This record gives sequence, C-alpha cells and structure tokens, in this order.
Amino acid sequence: MKMELISVIALLACLLFIGIEYILHYRLAELQDEHEARVENIRRRLAIHVEGVLFAPTESSRDAEIAALSDEINGDFEVYELALEAIRNYQGSDFHSDPEKMELLIARVNERVKPVEIYGKMLESDDVYHRSYACRRLADLEAAEYHDKIAEFVLDKNRELSYNAAMAMCRMGDVDRVADYLVSIQNDRLYSGRIVNEFFAKFTGSRQALAEKVFEACNPYMRCTVIKTVAEYKIAAFRDMYIQGATGNDFQMKIACVKALAAFGYPEDEQLLQIAAQDKSWVIRSSAIRGLSLLRTPTALHTVKRGLSDKEWWVRQTSAQAITKMNISAKDLEEILGGYDRFAADAMKAVLYRTVDTEG
Amino acid sequence: MGFLNAVRSFIVVFNYFCMAFTILLNIIYVIQLIVSLFRVHKNYDKAFSDDFLSYVDSENLLPISLIIPAYNEEEHIVQNVRSLLKINYPEFEIIVVNDGSTDKTGERVVRAFHMHKIETSIRYQIPTEQIEGVYFSKEYPNLLYVHKKNGGKSDALNAGINISRYPLFTCLDADSRLEKDALLRLSLEFLKDSRTVIAGGLVRIANGSRIVDGELKGFTMPKKLIERFQIVEYYRSFLMGRVFWSSTNSLLIVSGAFGLFRKQTVIDVGGYKRNTIGEDMEIVVRIHRYMHKQHKKYRVKFNEFSICWTQGPMSLGDIRSQRRRWQIGLMDTLISHAGMTFNPFYGFVGLFSVPYNWIFELFGALVETIGYFLIPFTLIMGELNMFFFVIYFLLSVALGIILSEGSLVIEQYTHRAAMNAKQSIAISVYALLENFGYRQIITLFRMEGIIKYRKLRRSWGKIKRKEFEQ
Repeated sequence: MKMELISVIALLACLLFIGIEYILHYRLAELQDEHEARVENIRRRLAIHVEGVLFAPTESSRDAEIAALSDEINGDFEVYELALEAIRNYQGSDFHSDPEKMELLIARVNERVKPVEIYGKMLESDDVYHRSYACRRLADLEAAEYHDKIAEFVLDKNRELSYNAAMAMCRMGDVDRVADYLVSIQNDRLYSGRIVNEFFAKFTGSRQALAEKVFEACNPYMRCTVIKTVAEYKIAAFRDMYIQGATGNDFQMKIACVKALAAFGYPEDEQLLQIAAQDKSWVIRSSAIRGLSLLRTPTALHTVKRGLSDKEWWVRQTSAQAITKMNISAKDLEEILGGYDRFAADAMKAVLYRTVDTEG
Repeated sequence: MGFLNAVRSFIVVFNYFCMAFTILLNIIYVIQLIVSLFRVHKNYDKAFSDDFLSYVDSENLLPISLIIPAYNEEEHIVQNVRSLLKINYPEFEIIVVNDGSTDKTGERVVRAFHMHKIETSIRYQIPTEQIEGVYFSKEYPNLLYVHKKNGGKSDALNAGINISRYPLFTCLDADSRLEKDALLRLSLEFLKDSRTVIAGGLVRIANGSRIVDGELKGFTMPKKLIERFQIVEYYRSFLMGRVFWSSTNSLLIVSGAFGLFRKQTVIDVGGYKRNTIGEDMEIVVRIHRYMHKQHKKYRVKFNEFSICWTQGPMSLGDIRSQRRRWQIGLMDTLISHAGMTFNPFYGFVGLFSVPYNWIFELFGALVETIGYFLIPFTLIMGELNMFFFVIYFLLSVALGIILSEGSLVIEQYTHRAAMNAKQSIAISVYALLENFGYRQIITLFRMEGIIKYRKLRRSWGKIKRKEFEQ
C-alpha cells in the first residue's frame, strides 16, 4: 500500500512539474514575442525620428528632432543603442559620407540624451554583468567622471567585472590601474597572454610607460609576454634590454627578444639576427628570418634563402614568405624553383601561387 | 515444471530490472536538465557583458580553416560554399575536399568559383590517400578545392588538415549551414581559455526554417510528423546532454556537422580514424585519452549560442539509416576505447561519461527493446500487477515529457528561439506525442544498429535531405 501511495505521489509530482514547465515555456515564448514586437515597434518609431534628425532643414529644427528622439529614448539604454545603430546605418544622408560630421551629430545626440548618466546608473546595479557592461560603455563615452568608480572594480574578485573595468581603464589610458591588473593576473597563464595582447592594443596612454610599470613588479613569464606583445610597437627605449635578452641564456626571454629586435629591421642588428638564424630552436630561427627579411641586404637574402632548406617546415614557410618581400632577382627565383632542393621549391611555389596571383 | 518456474522468476526479476533501469536513467536525465538550466542561465547572463562582436577586429582571434569533406555532393556543395564565404569572421579559409566523387561535385566547384590547378607543398602530417590536385581561385583567395582518391570521410578530413594553414579547423557537412556569427562565438572559447582543444556548437534542425546567408528569416512548422519530432529531439540532445557533459569537461561527442578543433592536438593523436562511421565521436574520445596520458590540462567545450543548421531526414527509412549508423559509431568507439571504462586514470570521463554511454546509450536500447516485449507479455501472463504496470508506464512517459519540455524551456530562455509563441507551444505538443510511438521506433532502430554492427560498421549510406533556400 505504501509503495502504491509513493508511486501515485511521484506521478502527481511529475504532472505538476510538467504543468509548471508548460506555463513557464508559454510565458517565456510570450516574453520573447513581446520583446521582438517591442523592438520592432521601437525601430519603426526610431526610424521616423532618425530621419527627422538626419534630414532636418535647419539646425534649430534638428535640435527639436534630437529632443524628440531623446524623449523616445527616455533613459533606456537598449533604445539608446538602437537609436545609435539606426543613425549609423541609415544610408543616403550627408552624414554618411563624412565621418567627422557623423561623430559631431552623435555628440549632439549624446549631449541631449546623456547616456553617461544612463550607464552611470547601471554601474550601481547589483548585477555584476550589468556593471561590467556599464564599465565598457562608459569608457567608450570617455566618461572621466566615472574613472574612480570604475577603478574600484579593477581588483574585484569577480573575474568578469575586473576584466571589464581594467579594459575601461585601458581605454582611459590609466597606466597604474592597468599595470596593477596585469600584475594581478600574471600567474594565470591560461588568460594572461591574450589579455596582455588585447590591453596593449586598446591602451590609449603611453605603451612604454605601461610596459615599464608592469616590468617593475612582474614575474619573468609576464615580462616575456609583454616583450613579445610590444615588439610590434618598436619601443626604442627597450632595445638594450632586447639585445641583452637575445644574447642571454634564458630560452623564453631569447625568443621574446629576438622577435622584438626582428620587428625593428635595423641594419645594426643584422649580425645578431644572423646568429639567431642558426639557433637550435626553430622558433628563434623563424623570428630571425622574419627580421632579416626587413633588411634586404645581400647577406640577409643569403640567410633567408638558406632558410628555405631548413629541416623545420615552419621555417621553410617563413623563409618563402620573407623572400617575396625582399629584392630577389628573377634568376635567383628560377634557381630556387628549378633547383634540386624540392623542399625549398615547394615552399616557394606554395607562397608564390597565393601572393603573386592575388596581389597582382 | 522447475524450468517454467525458473523462466517465470527470471521474467519477474527482469521486469524489476527494467523498471529500476528506467528510473535510474531518468534520474540522471533530470540531473542533466537541472545542471544545464543553471549553466545556460549563467552563460546567458554572461553573454550580456561579453560583447563578442568587439572581437571581430581582434588580432588575438585565431584564424580558422573550414574543411568540407564532399562525396557526391553536387546538389549542395556550391550553395554551401557561397553561404560560408559570407560568414562573419576576420580570417578564414575554406577547403573543399572532394573524396573521389563519382558525380560532378568537383566540376561544379571549379566552374562556379573559377578555380585553376596549382602546384603546392603539402605537409603530410597525417597519412592519407593520394591528393591528385589542388585548385585555387584568384577571385576567392581564401578558397581551396582539393581532389583526392576515395578514402572515406575521415581520410578526406585528414587531407584537409594536412593542407590547411591555420591553427584551428572546423569540419562541416556539405549540407549544413552556419549562422553568421557562429564561428566567432565558438572561437572565443579558444581565445578565453587557452586549454580548449575542442568546442562544439548547437546543431538545430532546419526543416521548416528559412535560412538565408546564415540568418534565420522565419519558421513554418514542417509538414511531416517525423521532422517535428526531430526538432524536439535535437533540443533535448544538445541543450540538455551536451551542456551537461561539457560542464564536467567530459563531453564525448562533438557533432560532425559543426565542431572546432585545435589542429595540433588532432595531429598529435594521429588525425581522424579511418574505417569507422563514428569518426566524430572517436576523435573526441581519443583526444580525451591522449590528453590524460600526456597529463595535459585541456577543455572540451560546448557553446549553445553558436548555431549550425542541418536538414533532418524526412522519411522513416532515412531516419532508420541515420540512427543505425549513430549506434554503430557509438559502439565502435566504445569498443575501441573500452580500456577507459571505469578507469579512474581518466577522471570523470573514465568513471562517469564512458560508462554512462556504455550502460545507457548503448545497452539502454537493448534493455528498452526487451522491456517493450517482455512487460506486456508478463502482464498477459498475470505475473505483473496491473496497477504497477500502469503507474510505471505513466511515470516513464511523464519523465520523458519533463525532459523534452525542459529542453524547450531552456531553448526559449536563451531568447534565440526560432519560433514564435504559438509555434513554440505547438512544437511542445510533440514533446508529449513522441512518447507514443516515435521514441519506441527510434529505440528499435538503435537496437538494429547493435545487431548489425559487424555487417554495417564500414558502410555509409546516403540520406535524402531537403534543399536550403537559395
């Protein structure tokens, strides 16, 4: 009897659960429909206002249209973002042919709508994802008045929030906060490489100052990562450190420093790069060959050509790509393509088919 | 008399076993559903601040090689390549590998994209059948067409890997379509966690949906019942099963229609296994095995927001062939890696994921099939209490509905549902109806796969699918 009762209760519980699921499903589906209809409706209304703003005959009537658009937005960040999208995507107005004019127009809209206040309120939200989003948007709007508030989140325990806050600091060019953040994640090797790359790319302040600040407190791994990242920015102040690293015994540092030196393409580094091109590590050989290709001297060309016969496939490919950027004569090219070294000829052909055909 | 009693006792015990098995399986499913619900909820919230489109111009985004193995795909191939050329991703190449087709697949690609034969170096990191020609086009510099001797889908994929240039690759079915941002979303799994070696996307049934240039343009309820059931089935399988297993880093299958792989890892394990029809599952299990043996940290991820559309089979015959093939693929993989079962060396994968697949996904079909025949038989013989039979039946149907409806709720929660409210509720009726006939038929097909394992494990079988809208 007891077993039967339990079975019936279990069945009733299942039925109740199914009922709840169906109600939930229907409500969610309705919400999605409502949301889509609302967005569609907003888009339609925004289109009228946007047309008014873009094609207003006089500046005062444009102001009136912007005021109407602002009323439509009414402090709602979603509507604001839809409005901006509509303005930027509207084809056929004068503003689209002149990006500067477009930015001025958006600045006028922002002056009226005050999006900084909208995102500022969002920064107070309990939801960590909303706060993260607000950080990014406030940085886009260069909202300096929220700098200190966002800076508080840089070392927050929540990874999402701290990342977004640090990214905002990047956009605001704050050396100290960004360096603090990068040092705080230096042991997190799974993420730090990518983040260093992203942050240096987006940083609006002095990259040299940021790198120096990070070097002051970071571990060797982060130092190598930063060196590799800033290689493309060719910071002359770090050249001595690069030369020291490229001739030193620390393998990771050597890779980073050869890459950084190679990016400069200075003739005075040729000897060092020639030595690196003979290194036992193929990563170093490959970086050195890339650097030598920028020099275009006969000795550099000779080493790059020798790289075509390297035992490592990647070095052969790098050499083949490098050669297309150097002043190689038709005779030399024929020699490679028709030579006895099939590895070299194949690597060269593969690159030539793709570069010569598509680039002219 | 003694023999009859023994048979009778066996039947009674087996009945109880069937009941316990079903209840245990459903409890596992309910746990999966709950975990998936929380996981999707978290990911949905996270997606708010993710701003994935800001990565479009990021230098950190890894370039991707899209490999399309094609065997007699003259109907879909050109249209599929055209659609892929429009995807939203900064750097990618498309490699169409014609695996010795006997139709005009090759001619159509070469003609449609104005390609010409080139000489190029191929790094044979994985042995494959001979590559007879590589074609290139000035107009489409990120498209390559490779013609090779027939060697099967795995061999074609391996050839594509050999010829690819980029560190990530994805294998795509010639008859599937990617959503515009699908690759971008999926590749972020690699960008945000450098341990990621595989990431799978959500595969949706395209029957009834209008997909133009990687964008969903509308949905009308497909005409055939079988197509409607598959829509529910796919949601259940992907939004419940895969989300759960990936959250424990023990996902064993990434759909052959859409998965992104770190190329070097696949090369390290020796590429796709030839002579198997479950190559998509086999490679994932082999990578789990390899990474554990090498004591490397790794992640196999699933991203429910990156979507690939595929046309589901439209006839019972085609479904039969497909499910039989899936079951054979599952069996082949589990047998090949039997040493992982209950092996603590492989962590959660060895202790839970592989045994789960053995017990519930493989032998589950066997137990269910026997149950379908034995339980009514026992009832007729008077050995089973009618009340218990009815309750058992109703409970298993109710649990089935909870799971299917639950995955539809998850789908709706993501706010990316293809259907409007009315259609969505209409499709949920099929979550109920599938329990009366469809699921049983599918189980019988799976059972057939087990029985015909030896005979069919090498054969492919072509499924007729609907065309995508041009």
